[in-house]
Amino acid sequence: MIEVRGLRVVRPPDTVALYGVDLAVQPGEFVIIIGRSGAGKTTFLRSINRLVEPTAGRVRVAGREVTGAPPAELRLVRRQIGMIFQQFNLVRRASVLENVLAGRLGYVPALPSLLGRFPGPDREVALECLVQVGLRDLADRRADTLSGGEQQRVAIARALAQAPSVILGDEPTASLDPQLTGSIMGILRQINRERGLTLVVSQHQLETALEYAGRIVGFRAGRIVFDGPPAAVTPAAVKAIYGEDAAP
Amino acid sequence: MRRGRGLTLLIGLVVLVAVAWDTGADPVRFFRGTPWMLDFVRRSLPPDLRVLRPALEGAFKTVEIALLGTAASAALAVPLGFLSARNVAPPSVFYPARATLNFLRSIDTLVYALLFVAAVGLGPFPGVLAVVAYTTTSLAKLYSETIEGIDPGPVDAITATGATRLQVLRFGVLSQVLPLFLSYILYRLESNIRAATVLGFVGAGGIGFYLQTYLRMIDYPAASTVLLVTVAMVMAVDFLSSRLRARLV
Repeated sequence: MIEVRGLRVVRPPDTVALYGVDLAVQPGEFVIIIGRSGAGKTTFLRSINRLVEPTAGRVRVAGREVTGAPPAELRLVRRQIGMIFQQFNLVRRASVLENVLAGRLGYVPALPSLLGRFPGPDREVALECLVQVGLRDLADRRADTLSGGEQQRVAIARALAQAPSVILGDEPTASLDPQLTGSIMGILRQINRERGLTLVVSQHQLETALEYAGRIVGFRAGRIVFDGPPAAVTPAAVKAIYGEDAAP
Repeated sequence: MRRGRGLTLLIGLVVLVAVAWDTGADPVRFFRGTPWMLDFVRRSLPPDLRVLRPALEGAFKTVEIALLGTAASAALAVPLGFLSARNVAPPSVFYPARATLNFLRSIDTLVYALLFVAAVGLGPFPGVLAVVAYTTTSLAKLYSETIEGIDPGPVDAITATGATRLQVLRFGVLSQVLPLFLSYILYRLESNIRAATVLGFVGAGGIGFYLQTYLRMIDYPAASTVLLVTVAMVMAVDFLSSRLRARLV
């Protein structure tokens, strides 16, 4: 489903964020990426849909080329990749429903969408996605009046509205308290199981990662240093990922 | 450190004294002039209400000039604002756009009015053009600074959905900046009412024409009526506009 080969990202002038990373993710996997901050997790995730432009290497998602794709093709493949973020990244002044409808932008006719008009079937899709995250009743509320946990659920609904094959999550629970972390991770697990979506999510809490992941990928200083099932995350592996002074 | 500050203060003081000398700023001369000012005020009273009607008509024209000019500028400045925002436009567009704006903005509305009166003749129309010329560039600058200050998060999120560039601008950027844009537009409207009061001095229409005419005719009571109408007009527009702005933010 996701194929990354030799992915290298250098930030100008010469800071290397990723040193030629290889990773293949099969359809339906729930991959959780762990590692210290600055290890390259965010850069890796953002390279998959080219929010960050890779310096070298190849990325393919759902059989389509991401790297080197011209703008129109890039949009088509981005449509296949939902993304959620640490800060939710909702349009704060827009309603919950409008935020979810934004997930349909890759499908709807361009001109009416610019005027804020979306076809009926797309509105249906958006509402169904709100039902999935349990927020159907808040559809008309302004996004910034919701709690953090609710906002992240709206962001998940927006990603689902894209009818994606893959969802990427960049520390989706890092700005939520522990109890909400479970609720968000639970929704993601449900999506993974019920819809068979492929998930690649970074997570700063090791226990949470081990609880929800089907596969753990550990980053350290721009390289993958661990790749295996949660059961294989031994104390030695934790040390290899987080370093000597790690307190797992 | 402390010594450096004292020196800076001394240099500043010397410069100001030199400037006062050069401009002939003289407190004695000012106080000698006060009887003339009082005389001016005395001769202006009571206001001549017979000219109230033309004064109101002039005020109405002034509001029209400011309103039309600001509205046209508000729209024209949108593309310019995006083109001169560092985080939206490519450098090849951004730098020339910024430079052009800074160049055009250095010329005041009144100077534009002189140019447009020469170009299209007397009346309110050159006044509208003058307001448009200055306000478009000043709003474009405010717009672009607002665009540069937006939260990049929603822009990333909308980009990630596979939206086109225009859709990203509409949903990721415009939805964040629109309330601020409207607030700036109202603020410019208030300033433009004030700017438009003097446009009549150079033949570009509105209440300034009457003020200048009565002053030239040394009809101070009539001029004071015009002045009072101007004050009332500016205060009324400021009041309405600030009420509207308070509701936006």
